[in-house]
Amino acid sequence: MGAELGKYKSCVSARSTDKELLKHAQDGGIVSSLFAFALDEGIIDGAIVAANKEFYAKYPSKCIQDNSNLDVIEPWRPIPAIVTTKAELIAAAGTKYNLSPNIALLKEATRSFGLDKIGIVGTPCQMQAVRKASLYPFGFRDVNVPLAVGIFCMENFPYQSILQLVEDHAAMKLESVKKMEIGKGKFWVYGKRGQVVQLPLKVTHKYEQPGCHVCLDYVANMADISTGSVGSPDGWSTIFVRSKIGDSVWAKAMAAGCFETQPIEKVKPGLELVTKLANEKITKNKATLDARATFGVGKALRNPYL
Amino acid sequence: MSKVVEISPTTRHEGHSKMVLKVNDAGIIETGNWCSITPVRGVEKLAVGKTPEQVPKIASRVCGICPIAHTLAATEAMEASIKCEIPKDALMLRHILQLANRCHSIALHDILILPDLYLPGTETKINPFTAEEPVRTVAKRIQRLREISQTIGQISGGEAIHPSNTRVGGMYRNCSEQAKTKMYDLAKEGLVLAKAQMDLMIAILRNYQARESVDVGGMKVPLPKTLGYHNQGYLATHAFYGSSSLDECPSWDINRFKEVRPWDWYMGEMEVSLEEPRYPIGGTTKMGTKVNPQMEACTGIPMYDGQPVEVGPRARLAVYKGYDEKGTVGQNIAREMEYTDCFYEMIDCIDALNPSGKVVADYIPDGDGTLGWASNEAPRGTDVHLARVKDWKVQYYSMLVPTTWNFATCSAALTGAPWQLAEVIMRGYDPCVSCATHMIVIDEDNRLVAQKLIQ
Repeated sequence: MGAELGKYKSCVSARSTDKELLKHAQDGGIVSSLFAFALDEGIIDGAIVAANKEFYAKYPSKCIQDNSNLDVIEPWRPIPAIVTTKAELIAAAGTKYNLSPNIALLKEATRSFGLDKIGIVGTPCQMQAVRKASLYPFGFRDVNVPLAVGIFCMENFPYQSILQLVEDHAAMKLESVKKMEIGKGKFWVYGKRGQVVQLPLKVTHKYEQPGCHVCLDYVANMADISTGSVGSPDGWSTIFVRSKIGDSVWAKAMAAGCFETQPIEKVKPGLELVTKLANEKITKNKATLDARATFGVGKALRNPYL
Repeated sequence: MSKVVEISPTTRHEGHSKMVLKVNDAGIIETGNWCSITPVRGVEKLAVGKTPEQVPKIASRVCGICPIAHTLAATEAMEASIKCEIPKDALMLRHILQLANRCHSIALHDILILPDLYLPGTETKINPFTAEEPVRTVAKRIQRLREISQTIGQISGGEAIHPSNTRVGGMYRNCSEQAKTKMYDLAKEGLVLAKAQMDLMIAILRNYQARESVDVGGMKVPLPKTLGYHNQGYLATHAFYGSSSLDECPSWDINRFKEVRPWDWYMGEMEVSLEEPRYPIGGTTKMGTKVNPQMEACTGIPMYDGQPVEVGPRARLAVYKGYDEKGTVGQNIAREMEYTDCFYEMIDCIDALNPSGKVVADYIPDGDGTLGWASNEAPRGTDVHLARVKDWKVQYYSMLVPTTWNFATCSAALTGAPWQLAEVIMRGYDPCVSCATHMIVIDEDNRLVAQKLIQ
């Protein structure tokens, strides 16, 4: 194939040098560190991230919720939030394996939050949305996104799926979950009391969001910088620096000593695994697209890539 | 012998309107009819049966120039009907939003009237789109003023056009401390620019006023000193914001208001007997064309104390600040004088805003069918909305918008002016015709008579 990793200027394996951040991070603390650096440097004056109920309880003015009653907000339900300090970044750190409507805050960030330069983190499809929104005359023209960080994504889960996976398959209350992770071909659930449950990915497949099965982007091709754990050792993240802006932010962050890096060629499993998984996703989803071409009555479903 | 001339459509204002003028041999207007020919919207009919939350959103879609005034007046009319008082910080956000709307509208109006005016000391009319100095600097300043005002509107109201943040009972959300600072900085910048813009526009308008004659499409037209004078009264409900039936001392009285049918007011069927192909943008209507303002006008004629009144910046200044200059130039100058006042008031409101304050009322009643009204001082005048809400459903809704008030007043002001300057007088009112067009017209006996117009 050859184009499965998108265009990028450089690729490294990295992790944050900030020990405090690493304690709360999913892998290498890349997104949190990048945003913390960009906030310090004035590259952005706020970032849209996926937070949760605990964050909302602590910083209610940073989220937009229809219902401010904490009792009805479920644990591990992602809540998009606008963060402007490192403390808020730490409070929101970590991956939530279900859909977080971050783009919904993009416009509001320039409105009642009064931001001029917005950082945003999201999945590949959300990166596509950010780019489209800033091109289309939807009223997003005044939305300035100087730093868009994409995360690798094979597929995503609706909230109900996570509930089912954790509470039924892993037999754990969502409230007692400390961390969730997908790695080494398994879905891992870590409990607060130390219990660890692993589910084979075969089990999780049927809980995936069907909309994800037409996506041909594994590594967030449209982001300024994309990152994910795949390809790097535990506690490290693989990084693709893609755009000019991404390159300049990354160079500045490196000069400021925010990250320690290793050449991607030197680490195991390396780019080989990223490429393999990207190809897997693309091949699998192309098959869905092909199937859709013959689906429907009279008119096939549209291939979004054509 | 009177002749009839028709200018259709009129240009450089919002909406679709025309002028039918009866002129004497010297070309001086004896009777002028300025009427809206925008098709009726029917918003008031759409509103019936909807929830009070929906109606202000629908009402604001009547037009894109002052949707903020319509949203606010409609929301507050609902609140007046259900008797809901909103928190102070919500009111502050609404004040900021409303002033932002007025500031960007004044800037837009400057663009619309500049082509009528002359560069002081020259015989050159101003083309605001030229790349040449000094006009380019002015145009850039106008753009920046619009940008500033719209950004402030976005922050306080959610959107610069059709604000999404207002709701019955207050606002959906307060703004952040950072957003408050941003609004403050922008308002400070706007104040400096508005002062410069005001000084410039007043100089240009005074220069125009001092002229003996002006050029219209190659015709030399004498400029009367009484251009746009009329003897109608002024109506304003607040120097900046508005009033409502919930106020302790409401500044508008529904009992003094009455609306009459256009065919009781405008001229009947006539034939165009004067044609001027040199008149700008394609000349006037061809000779022999039949015109019938009575039946073509799509508005009612609202009266206050039995007479049409003027609303708008001059009315506000006349009622609240003792301003006394009559005529078109006086009216345009009043608008410019409001500019800095608006920014000063906006800065005060931003200062008074507490970003952590509550912005939604604790209790929002469902309404018992009481008639409530709220007025909002839109850029072009008093915008009154009336509503009756019962059990969280709108039973009755009506909009009395600024330009509806001004149609009859402006028609009266046309008398005595050369017909070529009729549009200049009309533009002094900064007309916004779309929202002025109405479906519901009630006659003296409160009978619904608009159906006749539609037949």
